[in-house]
Amino acid sequence: MMRIACLLTTNEPAAHATLLQVALAHSPRVEDVGGGSVYLDAAGLRSLFGDDATLADRLRDAAAAAGITIRVGIAASRIGALAAARFGSGATVVEPGGDAAALATAPLSLLTLSEALATRLSRWGLRTLGELAALPTAGLFERAGAEGVQVQRLARGEDPRPLASWRPEPAFEESVECEWGLETLEPVVERLGELAAHLCGRLGARGLAADGFEWICRLAGSRAHEGALTPAVPLTEATAVTGLLRLALEARPPRGIVEGLTLRARPTRAAPAQESLTDPSRPSPRFLAATMNRLVALVGSDRIGAPALLDSHRPDAVGLGAYASPSPRRNERGESGSGNAPVLALRRLRPPAPAAVTLASGRPVAMRSSRLAGRIVAGVGPWRSSGEWWTPEPWLQDEWDVELADGTLCRLAHDGSAWHIAGIYD
Amino acid sequence: MAMGVPIESSPPPGWEREGIDSLLGMFPPGRLSEIVGPRSSGASSLLLALIARITTSGSGEGGGQVAFVDGMDALDPASTAAAGADLSALLWVRCGGRLRVALSAADLLARCPGFALVVLDLDELGPVPASAYIRLQRAVEGTPTTLIVRSERHREGTPASLVLATRRLAPQWMGLRPLTRLAGLRSEISIARSRFHAFSDGGSTGSWTLDWMLSQ
Repeated sequence: MMRIACLLTTNEPAAHATLLQVALAHSPRVEDVGGGSVYLDAAGLRSLFGDDATLADRLRDAAAAAGITIRVGIAASRIGALAAARFGSGATVVEPGGDAAALATAPLSLLTLSEALATRLSRWGLRTLGELAALPTAGLFERAGAEGVQVQRLARGEDPRPLASWRPEPAFEESVECEWGLETLEPVVERLGELAAHLCGRLGARGLAADGFEWICRLAGSRAHEGALTPAVPLTEATAVTGLLRLALEARPPRGIVEGLTLRARPTRAAPAQESLTDPSRPSPRFLAATMNRLVALVGSDRIGAPALLDSHRPDAVGLGAYASPSPRRNERGESGSGNAPVLALRRLRPPAPAAVTLASGRPVAMRSSRLAGRIVAGVGPWRSSGEWWTPEPWLQDEWDVELADGTLCRLAHDGSAWHIAGIYD
Repeated sequence: MAMGVPIESSPPPGWEREGIDSLLGMFPPGRLSEIVGPRSSGASSLLLALIARITTSGSGEGGGQVAFVDGMDALDPASTAAAGADLSALLWVRCGGRLRVALSAADLLARCPGFALVVLDLDELGPVPASAYIRLQRAVEGTPTTLIVRSERHREGTPASLVLATRRLAPQWMGLRPLTRLAGLRSEISIARSRFHAFSDGGSTGSWTLDWMLSQ
C-alpha cells in the first residue's frame, strides 16, 4: 500500500534545503519537487514512528526544531497528499481509499495542466477536481486526448508514477587527525597525498574529476592554515594532485605544528581525450596534468593558460584562462582556418618599450628606444582610443603605425605623457 | 616619405588560396621545422595562419591543440583570433625573455602526446646551442606533433627538416598623399632548406609572395 507524505514550506532556498534534510531524516526515499515542496515515501514507517498522524506530528516537530514551519499531508497518492498539505489544518492524514473524496473539492489549479487543456476545462465550466473526475472517460479522451485522461486519473487520486528518488550530492572531503603533531612539511604532504588518493578513488568511481582543491591544516593552539588550488586541467590522478599540493605548501607552508588535515575536492565531469573518431586527438588529461605541473613550476602559474580576450577596448586587454582539454566546439564556418585572409600579426612588447620620439608638425619623424631606433619614413595616425574614465584608472592612447628606414613596421603609442612602442608588425 | 601604394582591401591582391594552403601543408609532423626572418618580414603572420589552420582543422567538431612557447611574451591574442584561430585550443606559455626556460618548456610540451603543433617562438633570444635543437627534434620523432622554432636567424648545424625564410617586400598603405591607413605587408617566403622537397634553392616553385592584411 502506497503512503506518500507531502511537506510544504516557504519558497526560499535555505528553507527548502532544511526541508530536504528533515525529510531525509525520516525516510530514505525522498522526491525533491523544488519551490519548498518535498514528497517522501511514508510506507513502512509505522514500526519506526507510529501511525500516519504521529508521523505527521513528528515531521512538523522536527521541522520546527530546525527552524522552519511546514504543512504536512499524508495520503495514498502524491496529489492527495499535496491537497491535504495545502488545504488541510497543517498536519492532515487522508485515510487509505479516501483520496478521491479528499480531492473532490480541490481546485483544478492543483494540477499541472497545459495551457490548451486548462482553457478547455475552464470553458466547460469545470472548477474542481471532483467535477473533472466525474466526467465520462471515453468522452474526455475524444475531446481532450491522452492528457485529459491522465489528469482525470490524478483527479481521482490514481497516481501510479513512483517517486523520483533524490539523493544529496556526495561531499568529496576527507580528513585525518594526526595523533602526533607534524612539524615538518614532508609528512604533511604525505598525509595529504593519502587523502588525495582516497578522494581521487571516489571521484574515479563516479567518472568524475576535480577542478579545484581546498585544504585545511588544523594547527596547535586552535589555529588553522587554509589554502586552495585550481589545477590547469581537471585531475583524477592522486600523484598529480599530491605534486600540486606539495608545490602550494612549499610556497606557503603552515606556520605551526599540524594536528589535523582536511582535503576537499570540487567535482566536475572530465572531458575525454578524443570526443569522436573524426576529431583530432587531444592531450590526455593524465599526461597533460603531469606536464602542466612541471610547466607551472618552471614559469609560474600566472604565466600559462589559454589566452582570453577581455571585454575591454584597452590596448592589449588579454588574460589567461584555464587550459582544460577544451570541449568540442562546432566550427560554424565549416572550413579550416586557412579560409581566412592572411592576417598581419602584431608582436607585442611587454611591457611597452619607452621611446624618445622626435616630432615635426605634430607627426613623428624619428624615434629611439632600447629595442628600435631610426628615422621614420612613413606613418599614419593618430588613432585615438580612451576608456574606463568612470574608474580610478582611466586610459587614453594615441596610436601611430610607422615604418622605419630599415623597413621595420611598428606601432607607436602616446598615452598623454610619454611615448612607447606597443608592438612590431611581423 | 615612402610612396604609398593603393590597394584594395578585399580580396587581398596576390593571395591565392591554393598557395597558402600548400605552404601551410608543408610542415612535416614528427620533425623540427624552422621559420626564420628579420622583424616585419611576415614570419609571425605565417605562424598565426598555421595555428588558425590547425586549431580549426577538425571535421566540424573542433581542431587540434597547439602549444605556444612564447620566449619574449610577444603573442598578441587579438591578432591570433583575427587570423581565425580558436584561442581555447591554444596553450600559451609565457617565458618572459628567459631562453633556458623557453627551451625547457618546449621540450616538456614536445614530449606530451596529443598536441598537433608545438611552437617555440624565440624571436631575438639566443644564441641557442645546436644540442638543444637536437634534443627537441628527438622529442617529437615518431609522433604526429609538428615542432616549429621561430627565430630571427637560421643557425647552421640544426637538425631542422624544413627551414622557411621570410623576407619583407613592401608595406601596403591605403591612400596616396597623405597616407590614410596601414593596410598590410607584402612578404616573400622561400624554402631555405628542405629534406622532403625537391626545390631548395628558393626558385619559382619554392617561394611564395603573400599579402598579410592588417585586421581592424
